[in-house]
Amino acid sequence: MPELLKPEDPHTLSPERKADTTRVGATTEEEIQISRPSLRDWLDLRLGWSGFVRKTLDEPMPAGVGWWQTLGNLLMTLLMFQFITGFALAMYYSAGTQSAYESVKNITYNVPLGSFVRGLHVWGSTIIVLALVTHTLRVFFWGSYKKPRELTWLVGVFIFQVILGFSFTGYLLPWDQKAYWATVVGTRIAATIPVVGDPLLNLIRGGPEVGSLTLTRFYAAHVMLLPALLIGLMGIHLYLVRRHHIAGPVNPQRGKPEPFFPNQLFKDAIVQLVGVGLVIYLALSMPPALEALADPTGVDVAPRPEWYFLGLYELLKVMPAGFEIIATGVIPGAVSLGMIFLPWLDRSESRHPARRQWIIVTGIAVILLIGLMTLKGLLDTPPPHIPAPGHGTTISGH
Amino acid sequence: MKDSNTEQCSCCNPCSKDEVKPDPKSPDRRKFLGASVGIINVGLLAAIAGPVLGFIASPLGRKRSSKWVPVAALEDIPEGAAHEISYKLAIKDGYQDITQKYTVFLTRQGDDVICIDPACTHLGCRVKYQDDQKRFFCPCHGGVFDAEGKVVSGPPPHALDRHKTKVEKGQVWIQREV
Repeated sequence: MPELLKPEDPHTLSPERKADTTRVGATTEEEIQISRPSLRDWLDLRLGWSGFVRKTLDEPMPAGVGWWQTLGNLLMTLLMFQFITGFALAMYYSAGTQSAYESVKNITYNVPLGSFVRGLHVWGSTIIVLALVTHTLRVFFWGSYKKPRELTWLVGVFIFQVILGFSFTGYLLPWDQKAYWATVVGTRIAATIPVVGDPLLNLIRGGPEVGSLTLTRFYAAHVMLLPALLIGLMGIHLYLVRRHHIAGPVNPQRGKPEPFFPNQLFKDAIVQLVGVGLVIYLALSMPPALEALADPTGVDVAPRPEWYFLGLYELLKVMPAGFEIIATGVIPGAVSLGMIFLPWLDRSESRHPARRQWIIVTGIAVILLIGLMTLKGLLDTPPPHIPAPGHGTTISGH
Repeated sequence: MKDSNTEQCSCCNPCSKDEVKPDPKSPDRRKFLGASVGIINVGLLAAIAGPVLGFIASPLGRKRSSKWVPVAALEDIPEGAAHEISYKLAIKDGYQDITQKYTVFLTRQGDDVICIDPACTHLGCRVKYQDDQKRFFCPCHGGVFDAEGKVVSGPPPHALDRHKTKVEKGQVWIQREV
């Protein structure tokens, strides 16, 4: 901050320099005032805060950067909301098979604003997945993962997986029918892996069945392990984004880079407002439901996962007997590995989609496959004799 | 006592003339200390990872045992069709002892009873029996089984699991793992 050290202007002096001026015999009121550093200066000397803020606000944005580059900031905001609402929900939640359902019921129907806070958390997770997918697709089509940003992409892929982990573990916590059966099926996927499948299933569930240890395991992962991983990964991701700066459009545009503040930050704020507004609207207009208590004997439910896992769910339907490992392991594994190694699979120098055709075509094929399968899952209704969850399901044996 | 081989340094510590003072910048010393720090850190990691991983993985070592459970009176089971029966069993669920309710399908042919587990062999959803079609249907991924539990269509890799049964004094017992 060299501009802060100009000796001509006492108001911009560093605290030490200001203190020096008093030694010459500060007698006037003005000089006495100068001798006391403002709180801002005092903090700045210790934190270097203004330099950090200025550097962040002055971050150069290449010409052509705009709305598409606001999604990362939106994700951070929504994730922060998840931390806050999650913390609040944890104060009322009890992770036991005898108490989880009642505690969520209490949150939803008794605690003032409980339904709204839970709604923010539930709908927040959905909008986060949408923003995450859009953010990832933007980076993919813009080729922003290329040198020197390979590790920024890699860390982003890990963040992607951690967020899906949040969804999977959080889904079980209400311990209702939907939660229980989606987890029975979701964890059984691990058992389809040859050789290690059964021990892995036991490890995930904390035993052979989905029960009290599954719930505590998922809760521990959801509120301890995954947040710690996410914070660490986000820190690295942000550091790398700042280190290498925003990649800019595929075809460099004329014009000087603009500082992040005010234009880009304003766009970010608008998108944050819209994103958070949408979550609030959904939480108010479609409060989260709670189904019947989890029942291992319940034959009258058609378990369905969260919408973003429906693609995988549908893939499992079309896979013939004996080949389920292709749907449970090979295809998801290939997509994950493809994402992880994308910067090294795509060796072309150019970021332009037309000059890296095979990777774009493969990417579009994968996106279409997931999109179509998800759509099929959304449109698919359960067989007529089995009511879908959430529509007044009565559970046999109750 | 003053030794002839020692002298007073500027730092007031007696030093031996024969002793070579270690050079803190010596590459060997740096390498040794670096390796030591590395080994200590690996040790620290092992000290925390070993017990924690063992603790987390403890359910793997749990042995399951099988138990005979009375589920129905033979006379209550109609012949031919699969009959759904619920029963309760005291089990250890992690840290708590609970009474868990289960269901099975019993099919009777004379005095022989077949007990079919309702967990779909594909991914564990509960199958539902349709009496008019004499079929089990899985609501998740479309698996269909016949009245004996054999796969008719869909992705299930094999027939529905069966529990061993016995009939004693008109009472049907099934064997299941707990």
